[in-house]
Amino acid sequence: MRNEQEVNRAIEQYADTVRRLCMLYLKNHADTEDIFQTVFLKYVLSSVSFENGEHEKAWFIRVTINACKDLLKSFFRTRTVSLDEAVERPDLILPDHREVLEAVLSLPEKYRDVVYLHYFEGYSAPQIGKILGRNVNTVYTRLARSKQMLREKLGDDRYG
Amino acid sequence: MTGMDEKLKEIFQGVRAQEALKERTREFLVQKTHGYTKCQKIKYSHLVWAAICALFLLTGGSWLYFMPTAEISIEINPSISLAVNRFDRVIAVEGLNDDGKKLASSLDIRFSDYMDAISRIIESRDIAGLLSENEILTISVIGPEGKQCSRICGSIASNAAGHKNMYCYFADSDEAKEARKMGLPYGKYKAFLELVELGATISPDEVREMTMRQLRDLIEQLSGETTDLKTRTGGGCGRGGHTGNCWKVQENNNGNTGQEQT
Repeated sequence: MRNEQEVNRAIEQYADTVRRLCMLYLKNHADTEDIFQTVFLKYVLSSVSFENGEHEKAWFIRVTINACKDLLKSFFRTRTVSLDEAVERPDLILPDHREVLEAVLSLPEKYRDVVYLHYFEGYSAPQIGKILGRNVNTVYTRLARSKQMLREKLGDDRYG
Repeated sequence: MTGMDEKLKEIFQGVRAQEALKERTREFLVQKTHGYTKCQKIKYSHLVWAAICALFLLTGGSWLYFMPTAEISIEINPSISLAVNRFDRVIAVEGLNDDGKKLASSLDIRFSDYMDAISRIIESRDIAGLLSENEILTISVIGPEGKQCSRICGSIASNAAGHKNMYCYFADSDEAKEARKMGLPYGKYKAFLELVELGATISPDEVREMTMRQLRDLIEQLSGETTDLKTRTGGGCGRGGHTGNCWKVQENNNGNTGQEQT
């Protein structure tokens, strides 16, 4: 088991990443908090020895996505994410940002994580494939398809 | 998509874990790990389990060896009982009467193979002397019906074929319990049942004081079966019971040995 100091360092370092991934999948704050706590508890109890920071970050991403998907397997949970429920203070989001974020959240589940990992975290398709355990070609296809869908939703002229 | 890339970065950058969420998570983790001590407890419990397993293996081995799985009761006048484990070794020797206790203490047969132990008992001066005086010896194998008891019965029956006046019985644990309730060794208990069946008015106490030869003579006298015994031959170890078989090993008219059933 990891010590408290190590865990506090990980919370400071990866809390935002975990939070953002939760936003992509979960529709309410209660679920987000559940997953947030579950992920860090897994980290506390995990005996995985990380080679470096990148390895550790990839572990957090993978564990968070898997935890979110497990939660969503419940029959009673809806798969769509509304912006007002996904973020704590939707009123603080700029109108322009709101439109883009709503477009991302409206993407099918399998496209949301690749969009986040590629556009925000800056991972390449092979890296995403490794983190998510997917074939690289699948990741390329999903990235291309998600770009196309976002263009359709937001208009080609503005985001070419 | 350049405009989109930047916008997405700005948007995701704005999504952050609130301090309250982090704090609640820290509290949750402290609670779940009992102040980050759960691991030590788990390790301690693992050690305890490992110790229990080691103890179990050690005691389990001893338990397997020292757990009796069959009993061999040898009766003539000295009566002696051997507890045999699953490895066919004698793990306990008990004298069932005063003479039996003396005989048990004079023999060093503990941990030896049951057949060696029986041979040494039969060849001991006291037993050999009694057999030469035409006394009757009974060997009862007591235990659950199974491979071991069948094997022991078979071995004893084939080895007893070379000796005069030997009876071999097999009894299950329930019958043995009944015999113990009456305070009789199994061979005498069997003889008691036969006498009762033949209409004899005799008490277990009287049977206890008689030798096997006296009992057998009485049975033969009441049933008139002496003639029959000398004309039938057979082999094996009989199953005990009120109307069950008993195998007698004795010399036949030709001077050869054979096993006869009553």
